[in-house]
Amino acid sequence: MNLAQGQLVRQRVLEDVHTVLVTAFDRELTGYARLEPQDTLLLDASGVGVLVFEDGIPVGAYHTGTDSSGPTAVTDIGSSGPYRLELYELDAELTEQIHDDNSLRVPPAMPATQLSDDTELIERTRDRAPAEWQQDEQPTSLDAVEQFLDDQSRVEEIRDRARSEARKRAEEWDFPTDQT
Amino acid sequence: MNSVYQMVEVFAVASGKGGTGKTTSTLALGMALATEYDVTVIDADTGMANILFHTGLSDSEPTLHEVLAGDATVEQAVYERFEMKVIPCGTSLAGFREADPTRLRDVVATVAEQTEIILLDSAATLGTRSAVLPIVLADQVVIVLQPTVPSLSDGLKVQEYATTYGTDVAGILFNRVSPDEEIDTIATKAGRYFEGETLAKVPESEVVRAARRASKPLLAHAAQSKAATAYRDAAEKLTVRGSTTGEVADRFRNAVIPDDG
Repeated sequence: MNLAQGQLVRQRVLEDVHTVLVTAFDRELTGYARLEPQDTLLLDASGVGVLVFEDGIPVGAYHTGTDSSGPTAVTDIGSSGPYRLELYELDAELTEQIHDDNSLRVPPAMPATQLSDDTELIERTRDRAPAEWQQDEQPTSLDAVEQFLDDQSRVEEIRDRARSEARKRAEEWDFPTDQT
Repeated sequence: MNSVYQMVEVFAVASGKGGTGKTTSTLALGMALATEYDVTVIDADTGMANILFHTGLSDSEPTLHEVLAGDATVEQAVYERFEMKVIPCGTSLAGFREADPTRLRDVVATVAEQTEIILLDSAATLGTRSAVLPIVLADQVVIVLQPTVPSLSDGLKVQEYATTYGTDVAGILFNRVSPDEEIDTIATKAGRYFEGETLAKVPESEVVRAARRASKPLLAHAAQSKAATAYRDAAEKLTVRGSTTGEVADRFRNAVIPDDG
């Protein structure tokens, strides 16, 4: 998907997505966060994650590396920090296209539930989000955990990626590995 | 003491993610193990030191920072607290800047000659060489998890790093578990992916925060609490095999690590 460029309002390096969600929420951001994995060693983790917000509430997500969108993209974004974050403001009508595209849409509290343990943020997000946005809000935090653990291929992908990352870093850092 | 025949086991307590209660877990396991072994706890999270606040050592100097900067000996930074030896890390930015994290290897090698179990409280990230180093140096890693997707995902990464570097997984420890959470189902499902057993499911508890406010480890502040009992059970499940200090020292010295990071 293509989003208009928007106005850059913040740029920094982050360890995890939680800070993005809090920052967007506190700023009541209408726009998007562009999250690029900072570690160029992670060739498998290439691609950019985008979270779209309206009034600080997450409304959509996609990931260029895995070509995923919606809740799946949120999960993909969560598995590849640290990130270089850029926050952009956009006119509200430009983010509305997200609402028209069901495949991109995410339930308001879903990113906070999946990508953080911040129960206060989850509650505040639900409180601020209009009721009609929350209709497709389903999984509770524990349901999400069970779904994650039931998805064997996704777990194996995380493990494979971590192993290759660890091996690449071993070379760079001159750490001994089981293979050496 | 004949260092060649003395046995030592090095555990890294790691999570890959902040807020899981790693420091609380490190000190709780340390105190539980200290009833049977000579235990040394090292705050190897040099960027975000925490142990000093949990052990009443906030004003103590020297710390690991000074040792890593070459300004103090290891022995000078060892404090006897709660039946353990504790090597805290300082919190000053200057101390952090001057410290050479790669010297941790030598610190561990030195401590290994004087203790039976070393617990390394590790950084809550895998993003830098110094953060990963404790996992490389350890014989086994204890992975501290919360029952959330990000925590499990990061825990899996810790496991893969550990096994890639020849470090065994001692087990997983679920921490800060809410009473209404169906942790048993999640622990069973998680167990399919993690090596080692589920060491504990430690309940979220106000006593943990109270212990922190009192600058005491949980087992000193609320020894009879459910959380403390869970940690003692976890410590029972840990396998202390012991490598000779000679083996440990060799491994550290073989881990050739460049100077800058």
